[in-house]
Amino acid sequence: MNTLIRQTSMQMRLFLRRKDELFWTLAFPVLFILLFGAIYGNSKWEGMNIRSIDYLLPGIVVMAAMVTGIMRTATGLVQEREAGVYRRLALTPLKRTTLIGSQLLQHYVVIIVQTLLLVAISGAAFKTNLTGNTALFWLTLSIGALCFMSIGFALTGLIKTLRSATPIIQIVYFSMMFLGGIFFPNSLLPTWLGNAAKVLPSTQLGDALRAVVYNGGGIGDIWQKWLIMGAWIAACLIISIRFFRWE
Amino acid sequence: MNNIIEVTNLEKKYGDINAVNGVSFNVEKGEVFGILGPNGAGKTTTVEMIEGLRKPNAGTIKVCNIDALKEPQRIKEIIGVQLQATSLYDNIRVKEAIELFGGYYAKSIPAAIIMDEVSLTEKKDSQVSKLSGGQKQRLSVGLALVNDPELIFLDEPTTGLDPQARHNIWSIVEKLRERGKTVVMTTHYMEEAEQLCHRLAIVDQGKIIAMDTPDNLINKAELATSIEFSTSKELDGLAKKIPGICKVNNGSARKYSVSTKAVSRILKDLTNLCYDNNIELQNISVRQATLEDVFLAMTGRKLRE
Repeated sequence: MNTLIRQTSMQMRLFLRRKDELFWTLAFPVLFILLFGAIYGNSKWEGMNIRSIDYLLPGIVVMAAMVTGIMRTATGLVQEREAGVYRRLALTPLKRTTLIGSQLLQHYVVIIVQTLLLVAISGAAFKTNLTGNTALFWLTLSIGALCFMSIGFALTGLIKTLRSATPIIQIVYFSMMFLGGIFFPNSLLPTWLGNAAKVLPSTQLGDALRAVVYNGGGIGDIWQKWLIMGAWIAACLIISIRFFRWE
Repeated sequence: MNNIIEVTNLEKKYGDINAVNGVSFNVEKGEVFGILGPNGAGKTTTVEMIEGLRKPNAGTIKVCNIDALKEPQRIKEIIGVQLQATSLYDNIRVKEAIELFGGYYAKSIPAAIIMDEVSLTEKKDSQVSKLSGGQKQRLSVGLALVNDPELIFLDEPTTGLDPQARHNIWSIVEKLRERGKTVVMTTHYMEEAEQLCHRLAIVDQGKIIAMDTPDNLINKAELATSIEFSTSKELDGLAKKIPGICKVNNGSARKYSVSTKAVSRILKDLTNLCYDNNIELQNISVRQATLEDVFLAMTGRKLRE
């Protein structure tokens, strides 16, 4: 347990030292919420009972969780694998499970910080007001975070070299972002595409979060969304076990 | 038995290639054991199997009487390893890295002592990516020492380093040797092997072709000594009187070399010849065979090609 905490906090220190990563994980989502808030103000999209900015906030939370969960996890793992870090660590008594645990924990903490930051800034700037069951909100977000991180691990297993990492990760990230109802409701997509996009965890997480914070949704309303995210986690776990390599 | 490593019939195949092909050797406690050979000879593969990084296809490995193939986790606690590549988080600081690694072991040496030992105290707050090649390598060696291991593996510790940095690493190894640590090091520099190692295994194409002390390896090979000199006048026809003499054709005139096992005899004949003919001997040098020559004689190839 001590080793897990030490490893996690060291990874966190190394993360905080990288200006570019701080920008993409913390500043970038905040800039997005400020930008969209400025564009849409208090306007509403047709057929919606909440303001556009209210819709966007959970969406940007999902986007931020994807930046950390998918992009940071996969890029970091591929980079460190290629640098031989894990090969060197394999010569020490540090256990693989501790190393995996520290990766999950470190990124999870960043996702929590991102979310708190977005909710606070959006609340101050645009008076967005998240109601609903707080515990259910965090639990749902945590399932989503775990889902994105497992996608990050699975991608690392499928990516062979650092050179191919960026394009592959970007494709996954952008398709989950634009088809996942982050910036606009999927009802605005062509029906077939909107339906297809329902399998994406980003869609499910965004819908579940909105159901909880605006419609007073309970477990009965969102369990199916948890289940779909759970299926993604299971699938990614299988891919990771089959393909993940430490060197 | 005072063996800290016992390796028997170790084999590793990559596809059809036998990277390591039936290697057996023992390393005694307190010994600096060198594995000398050209690139691709199987040196790194051999040590990485002992360290637990690679699984052999056949053979047995015992480290401190522990079966390394059955209990790799126990081996990790008691060995220290420096890999060929630095292999660290690029933005970790020197002191942080040493402390982080120290935390992985049941017992560890304080970072300050390690930094002092590898002369990195002044660099303790520098990030790894800002270190020079020699400093990175010293850190790498330092990390191999954090758990105060009895047995230390150094894989080509000085490859790619400038002479100054190489000597720094050598003095660290010499200190370890004085303290009675067991060191297994691979190298393709014969000077390094001659200077640091008590005993050497010469490896070629996955096999040990010779194993002994550096001096014995050279003496047993019974190689010719090479004598080189210049003369104040051309020897011309007189040269015939010295058997085995050759003219050195590197542009400079009146330069000769003789390769011989009868050094005193040739020197006597040579000095007599020159004295009698009023010729002055210049720049005379006598060069004994080195491990490089031993390797060349055994394999027909050079160590570094």
